[in-house]
Amino acid sequence: MTLQEIIAALQAYWSERGCLIHQPWDAEVGAGTMHPETFLRVLGRRPWRVAYVQPSRRPADGRYGENPNRLYKHLQLQVVLKPAPADVQDLYLGSLAALGIDPAAHDVRFEEDNWESPTLGAWGIGWQVLLDGQEITQFTYFQQAGGIDLAPISAEITYGLERIAMYLQDVDDVYALRWSADRLYGDVRKEEEYELSRYSFELADTDLHRRLYDSYLAEGWRVLKAPGGRSALPAYDWCLKSSHAFNVLDARGAISVSQRAGMILGIRKLACAVAAQYVESGETGADRG
Amino acid sequence: MAEFLLEIGGEEMPASWLPGLTEQLRQRFVEIAGRERLAPDAVRAFGAPRRLVLVAAVVDRQAAREEQVWGPSMRAARDAAGRWTSAAEGFARKNGVSPADLGQAAKDPGRPDELSLVFLRKTAGRDSADVLPAVIGSLLRSLAFPKRMSWDAWIDDGKGAFPFGRPIRWMVALVAGRVVPFAIHAMVDGARGPIAVQSGAQTFGHRFLPREGAGRPLDVASFDAFKRTLARHFVLVDPAEREARIREGLRSATADPIGHDELVSEWRDLVEFPTVLVGRVPDEFAALPDEVLDTVLIHHQKYVPLRGAAAGRVRFAAVVDGDGANAAEIVRGMERVVVARLRDAAFFLAEDRKRPLAERAADLEGVVFHQGLGTYKDKAERMARLVDAMGTEMGLLGKEDHRTAREAALLAKADLTTLMVREFPELQGVMGAIYLATEGAQRSEVARAVRWHYHPLSIDEAAPPTGSLPGGQATVFAAVSLADKLDTLAGYFALGLAPKGSSDPFGLRRAALGVIRVLLDFWDAPDRKRPSLSRLIKEAVAGYADILKGPPTATVEGGLELFFLDRLEYVLAARGFAQDEVTAVVHTPAVHALDDVRDVFLRLQALHRARADAREDFEHLAVAFKRAKNILEQEPPAAIDPRLFESDAERELHAAVGRLGARDGSYEDRLRALAGLRAPVDRFFDDVLVMAEDRKVRANRLGLLHQTVSLFYRIADISKLGGPI
Repeated sequence: MTLQEIIAALQAYWSERGCLIHQPWDAEVGAGTMHPETFLRVLGRRPWRVAYVQPSRRPADGRYGENPNRLYKHLQLQVVLKPAPADVQDLYLGSLAALGIDPAAHDVRFEEDNWESPTLGAWGIGWQVLLDGQEITQFTYFQQAGGIDLAPISAEITYGLERIAMYLQDVDDVYALRWSADRLYGDVRKEEEYELSRYSFELADTDLHRRLYDSYLAEGWRVLKAPGGRSALPAYDWCLKSSHAFNVLDARGAISVSQRAGMILGIRKLACAVAAQYVESGETGADRG
Repeated sequence: MAEFLLEIGGEEMPASWLPGLTEQLRQRFVEIAGRERLAPDAVRAFGAPRRLVLVAAVVDRQAAREEQVWGPSMRAARDAAGRWTSAAEGFARKNGVSPADLGQAAKDPGRPDELSLVFLRKTAGRDSADVLPAVIGSLLRSLAFPKRMSWDAWIDDGKGAFPFGRPIRWMVALVAGRVVPFAIHAMVDGARGPIAVQSGAQTFGHRFLPREGAGRPLDVASFDAFKRTLARHFVLVDPAEREARIREGLRSATADPIGHDELVSEWRDLVEFPTVLVGRVPDEFAALPDEVLDTVLIHHQKYVPLRGAAAGRVRFAAVVDGDGANAAEIVRGMERVVVARLRDAAFFLAEDRKRPLAERAADLEGVVFHQGLGTYKDKAERMARLVDAMGTEMGLLGKEDHRTAREAALLAKADLTTLMVREFPELQGVMGAIYLATEGAQRSEVARAVRWHYHPLSIDEAAPPTGSLPGGQATVFAAVSLADKLDTLAGYFALGLAPKGSSDPFGLRRAALGVIRVLLDFWDAPDRKRPSLSRLIKEAVAGYADILKGPPTATVEGGLELFFLDRLEYVLAARGFAQDEVTAVVHTPAVHALDDVRDVFLRLQALHRARADAREDFEHLAVAFKRAKNILEQEPPAAIDPRLFESDAERELHAAVGRLGARDGSYEDRLRALAGLRAPVDRFFDDVLVMAEDRKVRANRLGLLHQTVSLFYRIADISKLGGPI
């Protein structure tokens, strides 16, 4: 299966199971969880099922396109089922079958691996799913987001698309993956990996990013506090922007140990305030549907 | 009796929780079912990733119960005319009888004449099947998890929301083969929703096996049938059976000893039907240091390395959850993951070797140790300074050892800047040693100290570096290890970050235990001068003089001393010594325990042996010495003047104390002679009135008592044996 066939198969599978197929968020994020269709939709009581691909940027993981396993930007396919159905593990295993993976012919295991995002004030309980020793999915029962205890509990399934594709195509270099019938992953992304790595390790203007970090947060708070409410979504965009600015600074080695905790806290405070407003307006605004 | 079988089935519990959870399940059931008069017997519990299982014998029916319900006293129960009062009638009515049917008895056995009305309430026993649903509820609630999760569950027991370790998906609950009804509801909007799990007589086997019919419910009627059915469906409920299957698999994989018992135990609880498979590490990676290979295999993949007959060939054993079919493809997948990781490691190793470690030591300037405590470069320099204090001022190290330890202290943290340690933090120290070893043979002793300086990590005498550092080679390691840990402790204590309660985020308890163990186990050559821990604490705190403006030095030192005394007692008790012996030796008035920690151990050993052979004499004298100390608290003693003695008992005790005091020999020899004091001490207390009228005589007698109890203070405070009276 090519990478795009894998994505199509998973989207078809989850679409048939009641998921809305959404699109990637159009701001830089470090993980599919940060997409508002996950972070905000798991709040409050309304049921929600969604699946989408999310390109996830992790500047510190950039390797100039030279490491066969590590990427500045990788693809996650994210599924959120709210509330988590009782057969959620079986549903997940069904999706592996849709990729042609017969669990009875492999060693498929759910091993304890809890998830936590200090920048989002979010955490969950769950597993990493191992396929013959390779981690292919993170499976999480969300417990808290934006510092708010969740009820009902959502199940989040995050597929590492490159890892799964490498397994299915039996290649050990991500750039050798077949993206489509006639294009390799390297054809599509290798130059991008080089340039983005070079930017975040060498070229990024750290003073500018510090100012950006501060300005993004300030704008987020200003928007959030604007009279009339109903501004959680734009405020959250600024929160995501500040998080990316932080990641760029981190990759540049421009954040000392002592600054680090304070900057993470700065993002978390805004994320928690966004979540609180989103929940408050649940009956009248965002949750009204 | 009837068999009670409970299976809590669901999603994968963490392997590390299973042994503890299983034991909790058993104990809690014994308690709860006992309280409910079900007389639980032969209670056993088992755990596998997807199920917790309990089987026990319980009575078919609770025993009937009789209890006395007390009413008004007879004085209040009849009026002057002898008629029942309204109080008596009310009490009778409440219990459904007439006053004449009530008994009369003495409520207080001390006052047999004061009778009260009493009603004998008989409660018939209930069928176990009727009691067990509530027992199941209490049992589920009673389990404590390292981390609980909400899964939108609800139990109708008045408490409502029901968090658990992982979601429960089915439940078998049978007594004598009949279903015990129990329901877990979904929680909807914070209230009870529809039933999510209903107990029954059906279990589920392995997720994926057998290939035909996996996932279908399986009927069970008894524990034996349950176990057999599950075994046919690729679930070994009993962890011992899973471990046996793993051991058998390992034996067929290799004839060599396996080791790695901890990992193999973890395997047992990671899978429901273990099968051992063997993979191969490609030869190109066989040249990687063993520690690197092991870290990737053991810590990251949970595989056991197999180094067998063929040199340079490394295989690994792995456990899979299944019957081993399609092994070749599964192993190929595993090997691919291993290769990807090893390729990274090989790259890091090559990159790191481009610069010698000594050069990297300068980079430590950019690595913060802790905010307020400077960088790792500062720390390395403080460690070197502590080594200097041990070498020159305290005279603990020979010239050569001092030079080597100093170099090791300055290099110990340099590997924190390597790619390898950033990727595999558990290899800190080890990588430094590996890089140093390739940089020059004359550095072998420096490398050894760098490698082990984070140790000892366990207080077990057999734990590393025991066995890796034979006697004479431990000195340099010990100096660097002490310097590192003492510097860390002094810094955090100076910042006011001493551990509180169960939280110890900076691992300070472990660091202190490491210090104690170095002093006990790695500074034991009889001819070597031993360090004073008190002095080392002072030197370590002094290392922060320039950068800290916190609490006064004496406060920090005092806090550390108390912390170490506590840790010292903990280690000694953990090594099997009785707590009263530990206290007697650590808290004896004539010696400060931290001045010579190894000496504390030697005194304790002597006390333990001498007391074991003369237990009765020691207990007896401990009581007498306690008595003497109580008397001494009343008035100060005077120096002894033998002319003031009035009786033979005094002279005899004085002579005995004099003889013992003059005695030479080992601690043990001297303590063994203690038994000789018993008779004179007894006679003294029998014949002599210490608090005599005459002030001089009294002070003299007190002086004799004081000399007696303090005779062994250099070794132990005998009065502390046997605990307080």
